[in-house]
Amino acid sequence: MKRSYIPVALLLAVLMLNIIATQYMVHQYFYQNYTNTIIAAVVNVILFPVAFLIYKKGVMVND
Amino acid sequence: MSDKNNKIPFNEDNYTHNINRNNERKLDRRGFMKTLVGAAGVFAVSSLPWGVLAAKELGGLGDKKYPKQKIADLNSVAVGDAVDFHFPGEHDSAILIRLSEKKFVAYQNACTHLRCPVFWQKDEGDLLCPCHHGKFDVETGAPTAGPPRRPLPEIHVKVENGVVYAVGVKRYEA
Ligand code: FES
Repeated sequence: MKRSYIPVALLLAVLMLNIIATQYMVHQYFYQNYTNTIIAAVVNVILFPVAFLIYKKGVMVND
Repeated sequence: MSDKNNKIPFNEDNYTHNINRNNERKLDRRGFMKTLVGAAGVFAVSSLPWGVLAAKELGGLGDKKYPKQKIADLNSVAVGDAVDFHFPGEHDSAILIRLSEKKFVAYQNACTHLRCPVFWQKDEGDLLCPCHHGKFDVETGAPTAGPPRRPLPEIHVKVENGVVYAVGVKRYEA
């Protein structure tokens, strides 16, 4: 039962991307670049299933 | 991690001695990952309203309809000249610039910094705000220098039968 911390690192990276995308989204909204706002929102939404998959993989393989 | 909870203190019918609660509050790797996934979920859900609002703006719900309004006769504006006018309301001052034979641009001329009027500088080819020396690109209305950070709201113009009309505002925010 050797546990790997790679999924943890990946999830932290996802969280970082989430923060960046959210900040970008809010700013672009107030700068009235609505296309960029939508792109950032979509990135944020897609990151959730990505995070979930990383979690699933990490738990099943290593625990 | 002592074994104290695993010992049967004395011999009796004890129904709880074998419940190991030692690690109950420890945030282990799995729990930490669950938290991170949850955080990603919160981020995802909370970006939805922003996306919806932005989509609405793009979809033109923010675009109000205004009756078209005559700005000037085609021949009265020389190439490179500017005309001041008011659109859509009589207190919304705006500026029309003739860039070439065919090309007109018009903007709401309140500077996006502190709403001073913006002037057309023919020799420099810039829209200049004298208050704090803000500058705007004449082709797009985007700020190029000084304090303004947002573009000037663009007014759509149309040339019909030798007359220049204002037909709509890209977006106007007070
Ligand atoms: S009001 Fe135009 S630059 Fe400050």
